[in-house]
Amino acid sequence: MSATKYQVITPPNTLKAKIGDPRKLMDASTVANAEKALAAMANDFQSWIEDDVTRLDAAWSVAADVFVAQPETLDAVFGAAHDLKGLGTTYSYPLVTRLAGSLCKLIESEGVRAVPPKSLLAAHIDAIKAVVRGHIKQDTHPGGKALAEELEAQVAAQPQP
Amino acid sequence: MHEQIFSKVSALVVDDHVHTRKLLRAVLRAIGLRKIEEAGDGAEALISLRAGNFDLVFTDVRMPMVDGLEFIRAIRNDPGSPNPFVPIIVVSGLSSRTVIAECRNAGANEFVAKPFTSDVLIKRIVAAIDNPRPFIRSKQFFGPDRRRRKVEGISDERRTS
Repeated sequence: MSATKYQVITPPNTLKAKIGDPRKLMDASTVANAEKALAAMANDFQSWIEDDVTRLDAAWSVAADVFVAQPETLDAVFGAAHDLKGLGTTYSYPLVTRLAGSLCKLIESEGVRAVPPKSLLAAHIDAIKAVVRGHIKQDTHPGGKALAEELEAQVAAQPQP
Repeated sequence: MHEQIFSKVSALVVDDHVHTRKLLRAVLRAIGLRKIEEAGDGAEALISLRAGNFDLVFTDVRMPMVDGLEFIRAIRNDPGSPNPFVPIIVVSGLSSRTVIAECRNAGANEFVAKPFTSDVLIKRIVAAIDNPRPFIRSKQFFGPDRRRRKVEGISDERRTS
């Protein structure tokens, strides 16, 4: 028999001792209060998403002409797209989450970076700018949906890095 | 009021995206937390962690300087870590199985995919407190037991509207 190669430690649950049963938080009123707190910030969401789109556009203006030789310049583009993917829906823009998700996938898949076609990168960024400028929020919007599907299809057709 | 349960609980929110920090802070305040500090990357967060005593840590993965994985490893493994057992909840838009596995391997307790809902965030907080996994110490790893639960699909838990 081999000796045990690991140790199991059960640390004292100081947090549970402090607050008691945390499952009390899982009632509908607590969740509703939290969602209400998010909804109270909704007036800021348009300016927040515009800030994030400005950041994406600025990153792209740095990378656009040099990213083939200097792929690291796409880091900032990916970072801004990643933030938009993560928060677009919270900002009431599920369409931006979808478009930015497609852009992220175009640049990086499972941690592997690609050097995508400039035109397809630019098309994603232009699409995101256009839908935010036009306040087209839902991915069920006919034009928005068609745009997202077309970009996603083009990303899917790209060779794997 | 259930919110009183959390009035003495402190949290550190780590994300390079200021609006994400604002959203997380709003939800945490709505469920009753009063002491909430923010940091913009892992390096800043480690300084905060050493200066204050936090009951919960929320962190993004992709950040400049010291990223979320390095930050988690530092909490779990650095000899000078103020609380190697603190519950760590990752909140990230990078949510592939690979990234989730990396977070677990670094020592995270729970994972929330962006766009997040209050419901899922609260469930993960409750899970981290109510049903914590024992810690495992081996030559290669220190952190919550990775074998108790399989890496679960999370796509259906994202905010969709």
